[in-house]
Amino acid sequence: MMKKLSKIPSGLYIFLCFAFFYLPILVTVIFSFNESKSLTHFTGFSMRWYSELINSSEIMSAVYVSLTVAIISTVISTILGTMTAIGLSKCRKVLRDWTLNINNIPMMIPDIVMAVGLMILFSALSIQKGYMTMLLAHICFCTPYVITSVYPKVRALDVNIANAALDLGATPWQALWKVIIPMIKPGIYAGVLLAFTMSIDDFVISYFVSGNGVKNISIVVYNMTKRTNPTMNALSTILIVAIITITLIVNLAPKIKKTRLSRHLSKIAAFLGIVLLISVLIFSCNSTNSKTLKIYNAGEYIDEDLIHEFEEKYGCRVIYETFDSNESMYTKINSGEVYDIIIPSDYMIERLIKEERIREIDYSKIPNAKGLIPSVLNKEYDPGNKYSVPYFWGSVGILYDKTKVDEADLKEGWNILRNTKYKGDIYMYDSERDSFMIAMKALGYSLNTDKKSEIDEAYQWLLEQSQTMAPVYAGDDVIDNMISGNKAMAVVYSGDAAYIITENPNLAYLEPQQGTNIWYDGMVITQDCTNTDLAHSFINFILDKDNALRNTTAVGYSSSIQSAYDEMTKTDYKGINAYTPRTGYEKDEVFRYQAQSIKEYYSSQWTKIKASGGQ
Amino acid sequence: MKIYKNFILPYLIWAALLIVIPLIMILIYAFTTDGNSVLTVSFTFDNFKNILSQAYVSVFWASLKVGIITVLICLALGYIMAYLISRFSEQVQSILILMVTIPMWINMLLRTYAWISILSDNGLFNSFLGFFGIEPMTLMYTDFAVILGLVCNFLPFMIIPIHTSLSKMDKSLIEASYDLGANKFQTFKKVIFKLSLPGVINGIIMVFLLSISSFVIPKLLGGGSYMMVGNLIESQFVHVGDWNFGGAISFVLAAIMLIAIKLTEKFDKTDE
Repeated sequence: MMKKLSKIPSGLYIFLCFAFFYLPILVTVIFSFNESKSLTHFTGFSMRWYSELINSSEIMSAVYVSLTVAIISTVISTILGTMTAIGLSKCRKVLRDWTLNINNIPMMIPDIVMAVGLMILFSALSIQKGYMTMLLAHICFCTPYVITSVYPKVRALDVNIANAALDLGATPWQALWKVIIPMIKPGIYAGVLLAFTMSIDDFVISYFVSGNGVKNISIVVYNMTKRTNPTMNALSTILIVAIITITLIVNLAPKIKKTRLSRHLSKIAAFLGIVLLISVLIFSCNSTNSKTLKIYNAGEYIDEDLIHEFEEKYGCRVIYETFDSNESMYTKINSGEVYDIIIPSDYMIERLIKEERIREIDYSKIPNAKGLIPSVLNKEYDPGNKYSVPYFWGSVGILYDKTKVDEADLKEGWNILRNTKYKGDIYMYDSERDSFMIAMKALGYSLNTDKKSEIDEAYQWLLEQSQTMAPVYAGDDVIDNMISGNKAMAVVYSGDAAYIITENPNLAYLEPQQGTNIWYDGMVITQDCTNTDLAHSFINFILDKDNALRNTTAVGYSSSIQSAYDEMTKTDYKGINAYTPRTGYEKDEVFRYQAQSIKEYYSSQWTKIKASGGQ
Repeated sequence: MKIYKNFILPYLIWAALLIVIPLIMILIYAFTTDGNSVLTVSFTFDNFKNILSQAYVSVFWASLKVGIITVLICLALGYIMAYLISRFSEQVQSILILMVTIPMWINMLLRTYAWISILSDNGLFNSFLGFFGIEPMTLMYTDFAVILGLVCNFLPFMIIPIHTSLSKMDKSLIEASYDLGANKFQTFKKVIFKLSLPGVINGIIMVFLLSISSFVIPKLLGGGSYMMVGNLIESQFVHVGDWNFGGAISFVLAAIMLIAIKLTEKFDKTDE
């Protein structure tokens, strides 16, 4: 009867299923050889992204972290799990049931909950987040899988076999090594495979428990997804090839198992393991010994070559980490993370000054500060720039497509974002501060208001906007999307707008007449900083004429150094108003630090807006 | 033999430290205010009351909805796939199952990232449509994109346990069923499906667990305003910094999951 079922549809079904699985993988591989940066149009074959991959120290160290963490946690959790499984079969029932129940917890509750729990634990014990915490967490979630795959094998063992070995004069250790372990081998292998897979593929737990510049592949990918970057495709392709090779070897291995080679193989494997362990130890020692500078900056906000040059020039190591918002930066330093230099925005600088987290700048060590543009100095958030040195500055505005948006509608200013003509054609910026700023300005209030009634009105404005206009709250992916001309309008920072306009000349930048937010990001030195000379040298290095020009060229934001700024307005960004933010307009405002209770009120309203937008 | 009994000790200590205590700490955070400093904590139910406000309830509801839809799609697609695979010879079966497993070893984020270039407004799918003169569609940042991403990532977790159950099945039982006069449908319903139930239950639990709590796929494919419980927890811990409220949400999520698992297991047992 069964055979009557025609084979063609079922074959087709299997094929379609595999197509579904392998389509994204195929796309990844193809575009890793693309000549241009685009991930949607293939322009020509090139190996460019592979050479960038090899030169990217960030990705290479992530590969190293992923592999070593996976190997070490697999080894430890296999030993721990196997021991436990053997012990379980011999202990009292009550104890066994309890242990098995606890052991099931990490597999039964969502990994994000486990991740959060471990993060709280590490911060309560004030353990610095980094390689060790990641390793501990990985062992923690791998071991249960080993136990569950080994324990059934142990239970299936005939008790008499071990007893027989003991009766015949074997010591308990010999019985274990020669009798028990060989018989539960299949379970152990399964456990190893599971543990390794879980560890190397993990993102959620690693994301919450790691820090101090220690990143595995998943975390790097997560940070990169905000901007198109085909080096990831190159990495992915290499991983795919490696996995397929290993799979083939594993499947062919049984055929060569009988040869002598296999015996040596285990010795070689053990040797490699030891070498790896030692190199990890050296790696972790290295990081504490040499002169280091820890910098915390917004993502995609520096010419990374400058960091390497600085390292060479001053013979130090720079640990460079990025955040995606001032708020997440603050949460991180609040949880005990230590940095030397941070590059936050105006209102956050004010907060850090108030909380005495940063120290005064010694301008005698920063001779290049004389090149700063006078109009970016001496703002209310830090009078006299005693604590902060301006890095980049700009405004927030609307980037619009001249071919899609009516010139006449621009008069509406921020309210154009509620003009139903453009429903579904708008990118909002996924940021609490900036979104509330838009609503406040549209309603004619100060963006620094602390009146709940005004905040509520702004909340209503945003809520209605999100319901009537179906905007997409996007992050940095706006950049690629606007370059491709996907939507008519986007709320963006001036620097991003400048860069996007150079790539897509159909676009223009509007600073609405109701006023907007003018912002300044500044470099600050923390109280935790131990090597203040080095920190000052870094700031001076960044403010150097040539370096500042390179930095602003790479990033696209308006430089705080006069010569670099002038140069850019004559060359790359000639005639692009987004590079020269409006100054001196009375309705424009700078964000100020606000009391904690007001800030919390903003956040809870913001979470509600986002929560109601998804449905 | 008794000596092996002590093997359990290291793990007991380990589990107490790194499994039990973190969970207790989440609970402590969930039931207190201002937990960032030990001296000022005070007991409260406010965090849970807060969850009951309409916006957050709708986030939970949306996650449940997405989770259930993903499970149903995975079950339908995965069961057929597992069933078809199980009809091949053993050698072919192991190759096919290997092919199902391989994508799981490739970083989930990398695979999801690839979907972005397929689904985006001027992505591969829309250029493909344009080739036939069809208007481009907005696929990114929709429920569709998120569920597609979830199904693509988690379908193997449904196929593999079902296939394991199906391949373990004693084929003579099916023959017996036909011999006793059952038709194809009856045989499937009363014999094959019943015997594969443990695999089905395992698959459902796995896929539901993974999809309801996932936060990367919704974030990448659903955009910044797409909120599932996972995103809510992430934003509380990473961006807002309200660990107490975040703890309460985590607690509720874990509770929902444990209840769901217990219910499914109970259903499994009564069925037997």
